[in-house]
Amino acid sequence: MKLNTPLVTLLAGLVLGVGVLVTSAVWTSGSPAAASAGNPYGSTSSSPAATTAAPVVSASSSPAAAPTTAPATPATTSSAPTTAATSAPAQSTAPAATSSGTQKGIPPKADYVGKVNGGGAAVAISVHGTKAVAYLCNGGAVASWLRGSVSNGKLNLTGKNGAHLSLDYRKSDATGFLMTDGTKYTFSAPLVHRVPSLHRQPGLYEATATVHGVMIKAGWIVLQDGSQIGSVEYDPGSAIPPTAEAPVLDLATGTAQYDGVTLVASMISGLSGSGF
Amino acid sequence: MTAQSEAPPAAPDPVSTGIGKLIVPSLIGGLVALTLGIYGRLHSPTGVVVNIAGFSSAGYVKSWLATIATVFAIVQVISALVMYGKVPRVTAPSWIGTLHKWSGRIAFLVAVPVAVNCLYALGFQTYSTRVLIHSILGCAFFGAFSIKMLILPKRGVPGWALPLAGALVFTILVALWFTSAFWFFSTFGVHR
Repeated sequence: MKLNTPLVTLLAGLVLGVGVLVTSAVWTSGSPAAASAGNPYGSTSSSPAATTAAPVVSASSSPAAAPTTAPATPATTSSAPTTAATSAPAQSTAPAATSSGTQKGIPPKADYVGKVNGGGAAVAISVHGTKAVAYLCNGGAVASWLRGSVSNGKLNLTGKNGAHLSLDYRKSDATGFLMTDGTKYTFSAPLVHRVPSLHRQPGLYEATATVHGVMIKAGWIVLQDGSQIGSVEYDPGSAIPPTAEAPVLDLATGTAQYDGVTLVASMISGLSGSGF
Repeated sequence: MTAQSEAPPAAPDPVSTGIGKLIVPSLIGGLVALTLGIYGRLHSPTGVVVNIAGFSSAGYVKSWLATIATVFAIVQVISALVMYGKVPRVTAPSWIGTLHKWSGRIAFLVAVPVAVNCLYALGFQTYSTRVLIHSILGCAFFGAFSIKMLILPKRGVPGWALPLAGALVFTILVALWFTSAFWFFSTFGVHR
């Protein structure tokens, strides 16, 4: 009997399709940190580094992330005013953050900003009274906004697709991990200190605009040394917004240019209450 | 069909020849498209996928694979034109049929993981015209391809059926590429 090769082709496609489907289902269920699962448009390069539990390069400004961060102000790198950052290696806890010690009272108004362990991404957390906002981005395809409340001294922040945050507050920094899109980012983010020489202070900035009929939302984290990491989400209301590097935020004017449209950034600060 | 030897040379049974042979393949193709669409709509997109090393993100994996599939589809069209003698001054070489078959198989099989990934992680979306068109055409592509595969081994199919099916498959794939990979590369840049 002559083999019906077109049918064979169809069946081969079906088998392949089912195989890919099953593989996807198996790999993406269960352990979140496993198998480079991530945002479909997310970058894989940041996850291996970020999931290391080793108390390596902590929340100070390492030049290693230079390729992804926009070279806003090539300010001081190692002479960051916050010495708390460099002392972080000792206190950078294991990823199971809240298991180590009690959670101290959270300051009612605070902003924390820092790089994640392993570099490549940054996190910002702002607390204002009973409300809190957190943002993580890698200046590329990973961006995650978390919002929530503070009650009984504990933070309860959640974001899209199951993103959540676990924090341990100390006097001068917030240590813990942020879980988003199957990747766990550990960090020790120091309190933001005012930098007199900067027109716009380190912290968290966001901007939304409609470009060519589609909404975009940009988020920038300006680190203590004045450098910035930002990502922009395309159609943030959708289930998995495509995300890419944000245009450079001009700290002098507080604006950025995206595809011919001027984005006006507003700061989210727990200290001042802006954005809350 | 069994009565042909004894019947007078009357018109052949219309259902068993010609256009009638397209009915079942078309129904099956429609069913395939519908199934994919329903799955895409009902299944909650996970947003989480398996990444392939060497690419900066799954979006790039898909965009490049989709581009590869489209390139092979172009080979399909050109080889089909040669096979049907439509290219002036070019006579079909003996291997043209093999080229056509294999380029088609490669295009199809490369497209499958992209589609599974799309359906599984993103689902059938309607939040913008681009994704709506892409979602609909994505389902239609596999329906159209199924129809073409099912028509191929049949005898007595109208002469225009196969080229039409092939053209449909090709056009849908190109439109799919424009509503996805092209848009993706335009938005996020062309690189690995």
